[in-house]
Amino acid sequence: MTAPLITADRLTRHYVVGGELVRALDGVSFDVREGEWVAIVGQSGSGKSTLMNLLGCLDTPTAGRYVLAGTDVGTLADDALADLRNREIGFVFQTFQLLARATALANVELPLVYRGLPRRERRERAEAALRSVGLANRMHHRPNELSGGQRQRVAIARALVGEPSILLADEPTGNLDSQTGEEIVRLFADLHARGHTLILVTHEPRLAARCPRAIRLMDGRVLGDGPGGELASAGGGRVPA
Amino acid sequence: MSLRPARLLGEAGEGLRIALASLAAHRLRSFLTTLGIVIGVTTVIAIVAIVDGLDASFAAQIGNLGAHTLYVDKWQWLGTNESWWEMRNRPDVGARELAAVEREATLARAVSPSVGMRATLSAGDVTLTRIRTTGTNEANLLTGGGTIAAGRYLTATDLELARSSAVLGAEVADRLFPGVALDAVPGRRVAIDGHPFTVVGVLARRGRMLGMDLDSNAAIPFTTFLRDLGKRRSIVIAVSAAPGELERLEDQLVGILRRVRHVPPGRKDDFSINRQDQFLRLYGQLTGALYGVAIGVGFITLLVGGIGIMNIMLVSVTERTREIGLRRALGARRRTILLQFLVESSLVAALGGGLGTALGLGAALLLAQVTPLAAAATGGAVALGLGFSAAVGLLFGSWPAWRAAHLDPVEALRHE
Ligand SMILES: Nc1ncnc2c1ncn2[C@@H]1O[C@H](COP(=O)(O)OP(=O)(O)O)[C@@H](O)[C@H]1O
Ligand SMILES: [Mg+2]
Repeated sequence: MTAPLITADRLTRHYVVGGELVRALDGVSFDVREGEWVAIVGQSGSGKSTLMNLLGCLDTPTAGRYVLAGTDVGTLADDALADLRNREIGFVFQTFQLLARATALANVELPLVYRGLPRRERRERAEAALRSVGLANRMHHRPNELSGGQRQRVAIARALVGEPSILLADEPTGNLDSQTGEEIVRLFADLHARGHTLILVTHEPRLAARCPRAIRLMDGRVLGDGPGGELASAGGGRVPA
Repeated sequence: MSLRPARLLGEAGEGLRIALASLAAHRLRSFLTTLGIVIGVTTVIAIVAIVDGLDASFAAQIGNLGAHTLYVDKWQWLGTNESWWEMRNRPDVGARELAAVEREATLARAVSPSVGMRATLSAGDVTLTRIRTTGTNEANLLTGGGTIAAGRYLTATDLELARSSAVLGAEVADRLFPGVALDAVPGRRVAIDGHPFTVVGVLARRGRMLGMDLDSNAAIPFTTFLRDLGKRRSIVIAVSAAPGELERLEDQLVGILRRVRHVPPGRKDDFSINRQDQFLRLYGQLTGALYGVAIGVGFITLLVGGIGIMNIMLVSVTERTREIGLRRALGARRRTILLQFLVESSLVAALGGGLGTALGLGAALLLAQVTPLAAAATGGAVALGLGFSAAVGLLFGSWPAWRAAHLDPVEALRHE
């Protein structure tokens, strides 16, 4: 078998708040292989967002090792981290995080601007990404002219446009009604079928149940790692040996 | 790391687009922000334009006015330590002194007396009052009297025969003979304080210097002046030196004058030897003071303007914290964010600078229209206005831009 796309080895992230140590992540280890679809589940405050920030190279661990696509992230300087995010990671946020004054197309082009691609190529690739999420006829709309579901599709197109090795989504359906949320979940399933690697944080059992694999966190530790269906229904899952 | 030009270009282009969009979205705020810069640059540019204008007209005059010429006068022109009363009581300078200088000043290249008054000139039904009328000789052109545009200047014969010949300044000729071609003016008749004269020549236009109109004058033979317009006046003797001989000539003139005016040894001179460069020095002090004011006012207002820009950029950074976090997540480097905000602050400042430059030049040109001051719109002034304000934008924008670039992406994304 090939090397894993992601290796998290005893990842630890501590905060000091008012002189008190907060163990947001306390030695989390797992691998993710190319093409996997993994849900991160757990109660509020269990460390899901902290983990996503580390996986997304937005934050650096207090201890532990993180290897992404063969690169040991811990050794990288700030510029290199920015470049790594640009090439390897597509973010989808709960609150969409679209630029309000820019059109859907301009929003989707943004990662390619920071990659230094020429205008024509940016345009073509952004159009293709918007078509692939079903927004071929909304390219020149601004976020406030789009529904919540459409906004999240724009954000997903923006995450896809740079052809990253993983898509990271933190509560991507958290701000959507259940029907629109379901559309987005179907889009993720479709992306998984097309071979994309997806990691998404959710506290919705329904969504977690759809994922082939789920990692349950509690108090900054891995409580279980197994098939999403089992984990969601059992509320626990296999505890790693 | 990749420093591909396409990437830098793309980032700079994106920075400019963001800056323009932000300016467009906050038009009033941007305008108010830049007001300090506008006022500062307006002041500096107006003063610089006026000083440049003075320089241009002054430089043009300096040659004509005779940098090699000394002026023997009862009066000290500028920077005197004599009292006015003392100078008033000095004996007049007159024909005796003129004769002595003409006879004995071997280092002189040209000697030209002049005696002046304000006279009324009339021709046909045009009458001009208070025109500076000078009695002088043919050498006056050499000692700094300008150049001839039509006809001729006074000649030695005009003086010997005390002819009623007059040479008019360009402005006087224009106003006395409106609509008459320049070449047709010589030969016309003009009355000077009621005495009939014939115009023999017109001087070339010289413009203004330090607020003085150099073209509103008339020259007649020295001898004719004494006969027709009166004798009881002190004269000024202009003496030109050969190049490099100015200092020795001055010593020689002092010797001649002390002897002919019987000044006992040990007593102060009872006359003054003046130079044009006294005006130069005065001019230097004047423009120096103007530049000082420009620098002072400019510095303070640009400081105020710069602080205004810093303040509004800090607000802008706070408002766009989440956007900064997003851009960082999508792969913008710190440098990219820094560049984005620097482009914005220098653009705001340069727009203010552009507006200020336009206003400043406008004010200077207006001032030149309604006052004797001159003004010149030089490329240097424009570059100064734009460049300086953009530099202020860069300088005062760099702290907010640095803050933006060093925001923690995670914190920034969570910002409400
Ligand atoms: N920037 C921070 N400073 C201090 N404590 C933090 C910070 N971010 C998260 N935490 C703490 O770390 C723990 C995990 O937070 P988080 O990863 O956001 O949980 P989740 O996303 O699972 O709700 C919480 O106790 C939270 O209060
Ligand atoms: Mg969270």
